Parts: sequence; structure tokens; C-alpha cells
Amino acid sequence: MAEFFLELFSEEIPPNLQKNARVFFLENFQKLFEEKNLKFKKSATYSTPNRLIVLFEGIGKEVREKSEEIKGPNINAPEKALDGFLRSNKITKNEVYKKKIEKGEFYFFKKSEKIIKTLDLLEKNVPLILDKIPWKKSMKWGDFEMEWGRPLKSILCVFDNKSLPFKFYHLESSNNTFIDKEFEEKRRTFKNFKNYQSYFKKIGIIIDQNSRKKLIENALHKISKRKNLKLDISNKLLSEVVDLVEQPNILSCKFDQKFLEIPKEILIVTMQYHQKYFHTFDQKDNITNEFFIVANSKDTKGFIKLGNERVVDARLNDARFFWEKNKSQNLIKQISKLKSINYFQGLGSYFDKVQRMRKLGAMISDKMLISKDKVELSTSICKIDLISDIVNEFPELQGIMGGYFANSQGFDKDISLSISEHYLPTGIDSRVPRKPYSVALALTDKMDTLVGFFGINQKPTSSKDPYALRRSALGIIRLLLENKKEFKISDLINFSISLYKNQGFEFKNKNVQNELSLFLIDRLKFYMKEKNIRHDIIDASINSFSIDHISKMFDKALALNKVIIKDVGNDIIASYKRASNILDNELRNKELDLSNSTDPAIFKNDYEKNLYKKVRELRKYFTNINKDEDYQVTLENLAGAKATIAEFFDNVIVNDQDQSIKKNRLELLQMLCKTFDNYINFSNIEST
Amino acid sequence: MPKKIKKIKKKNKPIFQSFQDTILNLQKYWSKQGCVIVQPYDMEVGAGTFHPATTLRSLGPKPWKVAYVQPSRRPTDGRYGDNPNRLQHYYQFQVLIKPSPKEIKKLYLNSLNVIGISHKDHDIRFVEDDWESPTLGAAGLGWEVWCDGMEITQFTYFQQMAGMECKPVSVELTYGLERICMFTQQKKNVFDLLWNNEGIQYREVFHQAEKEFSAYNFEHANTENLFKIFDMLELEAKSLIEKKISLPAYDQCLKASHVFNILDARGVISVAQRAEYIGKIRDITKSVAEIWVNSQK
Repeated sequence: MAEFFLELFSEEIPPNLQKNARVFFLENFQKLFEEKNLKFKKSATYSTPNRLIVLFEGIGKEVREKSEEIKGPNINAPEKALDGFLRSNKITKNEVYKKKIEKGEFYFFKKSEKIIKTLDLLEKNVPLILDKIPWKKSMKWGDFEMEWGRPLKSILCVFDNKSLPFKFYHLESSNNTFIDKEFEEKRRTFKNFKNYQSYFKKIGIIIDQNSRKKLIENALHKISKRKNLKLDISNKLLSEVVDLVEQPNILSCKFDQKFLEIPKEILIVTMQYHQKYFHTFDQKDNITNEFFIVANSKDTKGFIKLGNERVVDARLNDARFFWEKNKSQNLIKQISKLKSINYFQGLGSYFDKVQRMRKLGAMISDKMLISKDKVELSTSICKIDLISDIVNEFPELQGIMGGYFANSQGFDKDISLSISEHYLPTGIDSRVPRKPYSVALALTDKMDTLVGFFGINQKPTSSKDPYALRRSALGIIRLLLENKKEFKISDLINFSISLYKNQGFEFKNKNVQNELSLFLIDRLKFYMKEKNIRHDIIDASINSFSIDHISKMFDKALALNKVIIKDVGNDIIASYKRASNILDNELRNKELDLSNSTDPAIFKNDYEKNLYKKVRELRKYFTNINKDEDYQVTLENLAGAKATIAEFFDNVIVNDQDQSIKKNRLELLQMLCKTFDNYINFSNIEST
Repeated sequence: MPKKIKKIKKKNKPIFQSFQDTILNLQKYWSKQGCVIVQPYDMEVGAGTFHPATTLRSLGPKPWKVAYVQPSRRPTDGRYGDNPNRLQHYYQFQVLIKPSPKEIKKLYLNSLNVIGISHKDHDIRFVEDDWESPTLGAAGLGWEVWCDGMEITQFTYFQQMAGMECKPVSVELTYGLERICMFTQQKKNVFDLLWNNEGIQYREVFHQAEKEFSAYNFEHANTENLFKIFDMLELEAKSLIEKKISLPAYDQCLKASHVFNILDARGVISVAQRAEYIGKIRDITKSVAEIWVNSQK
């Protein structure tokens, strides 16, 4: 048993590249060893900004490759095939023999048992794997040919306590590495990972990113608890910070309290995104002026704390300057300024966009029975913040700042809230607006965007969606479903198309209505999958209704999905399948012309009459339910027909000698199925 | 290159240095490392990178080491001298070395030492920053260097310049001089910086200019004329390119670029136009660079 230990020392590699490299190396070395049947006890990859480490413990020093017979090409195959076979196995023609098997006569080659030394295997394969790493972005430096995430300076490779030398471009591996990342002057030899790790631990460097993460998290919690503060740690920020430091040191800092007056989103963006700090809240969930930073060294002289505090103060000073300037700039008076910012080539300016949104929003307000005036106002001013300095500085705060401006200028609360929420939801996990005015504005904006981009054929492809149209479409789906709203989407699309047309924008795409509907349905499917709804139920519900019934599609599918493997579901599907199987069989075999009704006069027995009665009862139920159909009740009703249906099948032979009786019975079954289909097209559902 | 750099004595706070000493010390340091010290380009540019000693010299196979200070103009950043952190005219100190030396990080950290920042006392961080300049058709990978959370330098390995692959690769260091001095002098307002050791402040040297140029850039620049000038410069550049004269053609390109920046500050360039103007400048730069590279053979 031996240890394989590789360290790649480079200039600072960005966090996301480190993460990808760790995954790549782990997977590829594991694959190599598995292919060769080489067992190992433990495998791991670690990284710091300057070091990428691959570690395999308890690896065999050699592996026996068993003797085996390898089949080559047919003896009648062209000469080339045999040449290829010889080449790929590195053998000569003398070593192959012919042998007959079932499929004909083939060339064979007997590979003898071989012992492969792990050392040789690694020597050959390490450089190959290093060369294969798919950096998201890679670079060259100096006059070298190598490409790496950032300049690679040194390679340490040790197997079984000994140096494993190989060449990789201009570098040669050895058993030593730089121990000072700053100057790259001092080197040190390591025989194994344990020595290596403990050496670095002694000088305060934590090699294992998981340990670093724990350490940082614990320290943050400890210090915030001591200060009676609350944290809201973003996972993204935490994992980025972990990969930005090798000797984490948490410092508690403060910015000037006067900045607490400006919107908290500005404070958070400044700290979290720009400076990679952790912001805090007090026990009442108000943001505080205390924040934590993760420095990469000891702050022996207090400079680091001081410096970071000054940076935040300077940044917030800038932000406050803009905020004070922008918040009082009259929103209404600025609307015409939107003319100078282009929305998209072929779709006009932002002024054109809000003019369209005004009208589309008015239509939506009518359908939602909310104030048209308020929706028109919110559509008109919702994009003004795009011309403010503060959004120019903090683009991620678009919408949110617009909401603050509206609020500080005394607009109705509904309006300012709708503006701040109108880009939501931004994804599958993002928050969905709940208030009617917010829903209306968010829907309006997204619909205008989708129709426009589809109109000029800027549709997403399987790999590219530069204008995030999938996100907009999913946004519409979630806005409707999670607020239990149903709209005639087709009307909205048509109206939106006409609004573009009225402004003189000619669409190249004449099929927007259809394509956009399919696109929205596709997002609905995705959403239903995310909710773990069975694929056949998804298909059934989508095939049963038009785009104007998105909520219905989802709610019915959800209700059915809930009971599908329970008694209710089993009863419905079993009953339905029994009827539809007979129907399908008969309809497939013969030319049968079934009418939509049955003739009760020629019923022979009570079972038929009872079933007929049941069907009529169910039909009555479906005609009488109003908009507030309780889907669970419907499903229970359908399941309740089980006994009647079973009795019918147990006692009645559909395939009667008398053709008219048979036809009548088939018609009865067809009525039954069609009645069930009022809920959803059950023929798409697979029986369980 | 001499390996040992004289260490300056550590004191108990960031070491004060006047603005002009910071420039002089960087020049002296990089001169010792074998750099040609040139003077600022005598034309309005947006950044040190635009100096032909960087753009053009980063192309082609010949080794090159240069350092210089470059006044840089960004009309949209003007704040009439009211903002403590923003200027429409400021200084960059620029170093370009081709091919990038192995020990560049050490050279850089030592250069911080000569301007009062010891890496042992501060949290010097190399934070990912992929640099791109659409106007120059240039791209590079590297970092923004943070000192205690503040960006003080852009550290970039050029991969592409004027649409051409950089071979060998140059490394570019761009020091933000005002920021660095605000750090070493512990000032919260750029105008409070001490320019020299005789008590002259940045305010006295540049405040009036900030005020007046902000007014010019945002209010008074005659846009109609500037649009015309842009077109004239473009024509001039194209005619020079036809005659295979690279450096004067590049000058037209720099002038056009500055005219564009003023128009941008005046807010008269729409998003669509913006891409078009940037494209025009980039196309000229590319042609210039090709002629220049050929002239070097």
C-alpha cells in the first residue's frame, strides 16, 4: 500500500476554477484507477488559492492485468481493419491467430498476464490528466505554451514516499514545493501528505477547504453570538470566501452609523457582493453597522481592520451621494428621458416599452379587478430607476431602487411595492410577489418582453438564452400558479402583439402566439417536474387543456399526483383502463361507428342500468360544479364509481352476439370514459 | 534583474508618502528592474493601457519593459470636484513587461514596499478580474489586487490585443495612484492628498480643473461639432491606414476615443450607437496594430 500525492502550485486561482479543478481531478484519477482495477482506501482533493492537491491513500503498488483473449476483425474484413487492430494493441501480425466463432471467423490475440506498476501508470497518466483539465477560462504566460487557470509554477508529485518525476510542458515534477506564496523563494521537500498538511498547519495555513469552511462558519457564529447580532450567511459568499483565503482570520468591523439611513439593500450589496463581507442584523432584524470580514492573515498592527472600514465608508459615501441626489428627482418628469435608452434593436426604447406596458397592464388590471389607474401609473414609472446614478452603480438593485424612489416621493404603497418587486421571481427558488398590483406589473413586464423577443426571433436555443427568456416565462407560470390566478394567456399575447404593431414594430415572426404558448407550456412542464409530478400526469394534463388554463392544468395534475398511488388513484385508473381497453380493442379491430349516447331501452340488466345511472350522476356533477371545483372531491367521486363499474364488468359481457346490444354497451363505456376525461385525459396515464 | 531589493524600514502605520514621491519611487524601482521609463503620452487617453508603449509594444515577439505615469481621463466620472473619491482626470502608474517574468509577483510586492505598503502588515489579496477592453479589442486574465479590501492595482496577463493573440504574453500592472496615496496618507478625501512635502495639496493642483472639466464634459461640450470631429478623425485614420502609417493613425484613434467619451458623458449616445462607435474605434485599432506588427519584422 502506498500514497499518491500531487500538489500543483500556481499564482492565485479564482474560487470557481478551484472548485471545478477539485472535482475534475478527483473524478479523473478515480476513473484511471478504476479502469486499471487499482484499489485505494481514500481519495480527496483540496485547494487553497495557490495550491491544488490530489491525494489517494492505500493504493496498491502494482496491479495484475489478467490474461485475456481479445477479438479482432473478421478475417474477411479489409486489411486496414487488421492493421488498426495490431496498432491499437501494439502487436505484430505473428501474434494473432484465426478462430471460428458463431458469427464467423475472426482474428484473435492472446494478451498475456502482465503486472503493471502503479508508479509507471502514474508517470504516464498524471501529465495526460493534467493536460485534459477543462478550465472555464485559461491563460498563457511568459513565452510558454502551457495553458492553466493562472500561471502554474511548480509540481510536487510523490508516490510511496518517493518523488515521482515527470515532465509537463516546461515544468518538471519533484518532491518539493514553494512554501512562501508571496515571493516563491523558499522550497521544502515533503515525503507524504501528512507531513505536508501538518507543516502548513504549523504556519497557520489550512489546506483542506472543508476545514476552512467549518472554521469560518463557527467563528462567524461565535462572534455574532457574543455581540448579540444575527447573521444571514449567503452560501455563495461563504464558499467563495473559503476559496479566497488560506489562513482565515475573522475581524469584526464597523462603518459609520450615519449610513444606516440609506436603503439596506445598498448596504448589503456593498458589503456582500463588492467587498465579500458578512453583514449583520440586530435582534429586531434591523441591519446594523457591524460587519465581519475574513482576512487572509493576522492583523498584527490593526491595519487590516482599519483599511477595510475605510473602504466601506468610502463606498457608502459614494452611494449615499447618489441616493440623496436620485431619490428626490421627480419620477413622472423623467418619463420622457426613457426615450434616450434603447430597450432592444427592433423593440424600441424603454419609453416605447413602458407605453406598451401601460396598455397591457390596463388589460390585466381589468381581469384582476384592481385599479386601472394605479397599474397604469406603476407601469409608467417602473423603469425610471434605470437612468439613476445609483442603479448605474448597483445594477443588481434595479426595481428595488425604483420602489424606494416611488416611496420617498409619496406614491401609493401598492405602487412602490409593485415597482420594487416587478423583476421577481427571478428563478425557481426566488420569491414570488403576492400583492395584486405587484403580480400585475410583474406579469405585464414579462409578457411584453417575451412577445417582443419572440417577435424578432431572438428565441432561446437549447444552450443559449442570453436574454433570460426562460426565466421570464417561468416567472409568468409561477406568478399565475402561486397566486391561484387564471388568465386568458392567448388574449394577453394577442393584445401585446397588437401593441407592438401599433407602435410600428413589424415582427418577422408571424407565429408568435403559437410559439410563445408552447414555450410557456414547456416552462409549466419544467415547473411541474420540479414539483415531482409524474411525467404521464404532466402530459395528460397538458394535452387536456389550452394555454388559457395554466392554473387548471397544474392544480388538476397536482391533485391527481397526490392520490395516484393511493386507493383513490388506483380505483380511478383501474376502472378507466378496464373500460378503455375494451373500447380500444374493439375500435382497433373493426369499423365501428359509435354515437355519443347509448340507448337505455335495450339495456338487458340492472348492471347496465346502474352504470348508466352512475355515468349520468357523474355528468351532472361535472355540469354543476362551478369555478371552485374541489379537485380532490372530483377524484373521490370518480373513484366512487368503482363498485358499479366492477359489477358491470363482472356480470356483463360487452361482446354480445347481437351487434346492436354490443354497440350499445360499447357506447355506454365510451360515455363512461368521456365523463372521466372531464377531469383530465386519463388515457395518457400509465397504470401502476 | 537584480534579485535583492533594499527593504525599507517598517514603522507602525502605513508609511506616509507624498503623491509625487510615490510616483518617483515607483519610477526609480521599475527603472532598477530594467524598465524603460517613458513619459506620459501627450494626448487624452482613458487609461495607461492606451499609451502606444503598451498597446502596440505588447504585440509581436520583441521583449519590452516599460514603466510610466499616465494622466487618464474619464469624462463620465467627473463630479465637479464635489465627490471625495471620483475624478474625471487622475493618474495611473503603468508597467508593462514582455514576456511576463516568472517572479513578477515578487517584483510587484516589493514595489509596494517602496511606496509604503509592506505585504507583511496588510492583507494583500489577488481577486479574480478578467479584463476586457472592447475599444482596443483586448482581453486578459489576472486580478485586481486588494490591500485591506481596497483595490490598488490591476494585474493582468494580456492574452489578446487589437484582436491579435499576444505571443509572448505581456504582464501589465496598473497602479491607481490616488487610491494608493489615500491609503498611505490616511486621507478620506482625494483633494486632501499631499502632493509634495511642502504642504501642497491635490486640491491646489487639480480642484479647479475638476470643476471646469466636469462642466465642459457634462454641459458645455458642443456635441454637434464633436460628432463632426469624430467623423473627421475616423476618415483621417482610415486614410493613414491606407498609406500604411501606423503611429499617426493610432493617434487619430486615441483622439476619436476621447471625443466619444465626451459625447458619452454628454448623454447623447444611445445604446445602439454606442456599440457602433466602439466598433469603429476597434476596427481602426486592429488595422493600425496589423500595420505596426508588420513594420516590426
